[in-house]
This record gives sequence, C-alpha cells and structure tokens, in this order.
Amino acid sequence: MASYQAGDFAAATVLINRLSPQLHRFFVAQAASRADADDLLQETWLRIHKVRHTYRPDEPVLPWFYAIARHVRVDHYRKTVRTTARERGLEEITKVGAKIPAELSQADDLEALLAPLSENQREVIEMLKVAGMSMEEVARATSSSVGSVKQKVHRAYKKLRQSISAMGHTKGQSGGRS
Amino acid sequence: MKDREIDEVLKKAAQAPHKLDPALLKRVAGSIESSLRPVRTLPSTWVLTTGLVLICAVVALAGAARAGFDGIEKMGVWERALIFSTLGIFAWVAGTEFVNEMIPGSRRRIPLGALLGIGSVVLVGVFALLFRDYRTDHFVSAGIVCLLTGLLHAIPAALLSWLVLRRGFAVNSVSAGLAAGTLAGLAGVGMLELHCANFQATHILVWHTAVIPVSGGAGAFVACALRFRSGSRGLERAAPR
Repeated sequence: MASYQAGDFAAATVLINRLSPQLHRFFVAQAASRADADDLLQETWLRIHKVRHTYRPDEPVLPWFYAIARHVRVDHYRKTVRTTARERGLEEITKVGAKIPAELSQADDLEALLAPLSENQREVIEMLKVAGMSMEEVARATSSSVGSVKQKVHRAYKKLRQSISAMGHTKGQSGGRS
Repeated sequence: MKDREIDEVLKKAAQAPHKLDPALLKRVAGSIESSLRPVRTLPSTWVLTTGLVLICAVVALAGAARAGFDGIEKMGVWERALIFSTLGIFAWVAGTEFVNEMIPGSRRRIPLGALLGIGSVVLVGVFALLFRDYRTDHFVSAGIVCLLTGLLHAIPAALLSWLVLRRGFAVNSVSAGLAAGTLAGLAGVGMLELHCANFQATHILVWHTAVIPVSGGAGAFVACALRFRSGSRGLERAAPR
C-alpha cells in the first residue's frame, strides 16, 4: 500500500490482483449481479485511487478498503433505486428485491448460504469469514461498535442455523426419493 | 447445530475459488495508471483536529472582536472557566470525529448523533448551573438575533474547516456534514459567549444552545443536497441521448 501511495504501478497492480477477488465476492454476496459487481469493483478502485492519501501506514488496511467498498455499494444502491423508480415504478422494485434470495436458495455456494440474511448481517459475515477480518476491523469498516457487530453475528448465526438445518432437511428428503 | 459447525460450513463455502476475468483486472489497473503519482499521506488526527479547533477559536474571536467582548467581560472567573473549557472539550471531540469521518475505516468512538445530543445536554447543564436569572424579557426577538449571529459565524468556520479537509470524502458525506456543522456551530456559540451580555437563563439555554443542533442539521442537509445533486448529475450523464 505504501508503494502504491508512492506511485509504484507494479505495487498497485499487485494490490488490485490480490484484493479484487474478495471485493468482487463481497459485492456478489450483497445480491448484486455479476455484471453489477464488475462495475462496483471498478468504481471502488477508482474511489480508492482518489482517496489513497487518506490511508495511514500504521492503520489496518482491510477496514480501509472495505469501508470504501461498502459506501460504493450503498451509493450504487441509492442510484439504482432512483433510476428504477424513474423507469418502472416502486412496485416492481420490491418484486426484484424479493426475487434474489429465492433464485439463489438452491445454489450450493457462499452466496446461497448467505441469502437468507439481511444485508447488514451478510456484509458482517462476509468480512469476518471470507476476508478474515477481526471484530474490531469489521466495526471500523462498518462505522459501528464491536458490540453491534457481535449482535449482528449472533443474529446471523441464528438465521444460518435455521436455514442450514432446513437445507439439510430438504436435501435429505430429495436424496431419499432418488 | 453448533457455532463451530456453522463456521466450518462458511469456511468451506468461502474456500471455493472466485475467479475474475483477467481483462477486468487489466481494465481496473489501466484506469488508474494515467493518474498514478506519489501522494502525501494525511497528517495525524491530532494535528488535523488542532487545526479545526484553532479555526473555530479564530472565527469566534474575530467575530467577538468586531462585535465586542461584552459577554466575557461580564462573566466571573468560574463562568469563564466552565463555559470555555466545556466548549473546548466539545470542539476537540467534534473535531476528532470530523477527521475520523474523512478517513475510511477509522475507529468510531461515539456516534455523531449521540455526540450532538450529549454535547448539547452537557452545555445546557453548564448554562443551567451558572445562570440563575429567570426573566424572559424580549425572549423571541433577542433570541433570534443571537441564533442568527451564531449561525452567521458558523458559516465561515464550516467553510474553513472544509478547506482543511477538502481532499475528498470517500465515505459518508452526510455524517461528515453533520460533524462539520456541529463543529462550526461551536464556533458560533463561542462567539456568542464572548459577545452576548444577556445573561437571562432561558435566553442562553434555548437560543445559544440551539446554534449547535441547527448548525449540525444544516451541515447534514447541505451534504445530503450535494450528494443528491452529484447523484442526479451522474444519472443525467449516464442517460442515453
């Protein structure tokens, strides 16, 4: 990161190659389509580039990246809502929003696993379990307290317990029939 | 199902490779290459906070120097010590939060809404403790003059603070606006305490303190309007012609 701040293009490329997959996955887990996630990733890197001077070498790097990625996603969501409202009307937005978890629920991957969670819970689990951040770092990235992060994780695990049990139950039933 | 088992399921799912199109990564790298030059990192938080607090102090002093130091001259030693130390602490905390709002992934010690609420209540407590004249002569007319004077001094403080931290907000601009407004409001209250010689308790409790939430709200509103405007401009640019 320090080399990137010093204007080293090779260091910037290394950083992009290393962090992009997990940032992209973060966007996909937030119920974005792959094309949207591509756009969000590009937008995130442009914003990171614009404010790279705000990173201080003695601070943890992941909360800095994820805080920016998170706000890019929020801004994108606001813009999408505004555009969709102009084009289709509000009734259809709720239909689109409700469709995503149902579409994913059959898939056997992380996105499907996190689909029953709320957006806040999803992003916290994504940061903790995929990015490998600590509670303190997640709290920094989400501009909240460690207590609030713990509460979200607790609620997310409660939901995950139910959904994983239900998925296991469904799989068991279908496996029995075949 | 135990938490450890859920951890295992999540770990297994997270280990699945998430491949990206190399062309996308190349495009991202290409988009920043042309503007890649060395940047100077920000000074430490306390340096920036000191700058912001100094701006507020200078604006308050300049305003009082123009209008007169009638208020502070009429105050006793205890009143001066308590009021200005409270304002100073409040300004330091608000300044720190403003700087933290600018830096993504900073540690948040206190939510901004809570800071505004607690700070205002503490200030009301200090004023209630010190001023015991409960007359309400010219309550509205004198009060509105003080509120407007405080807000007028908050504007230059907000603009100068923005100049110090103008190098781009990557995160929540509305929170930053609220923090900037709160800090600027403190400059306005500081000026009023230096200048206003009306020591009626209700006047100070209501109208002087009101400068802070009104200024904070105005800061958040301006930031929200700017964000909405930039968002609309983005949409207009993206719209097909």
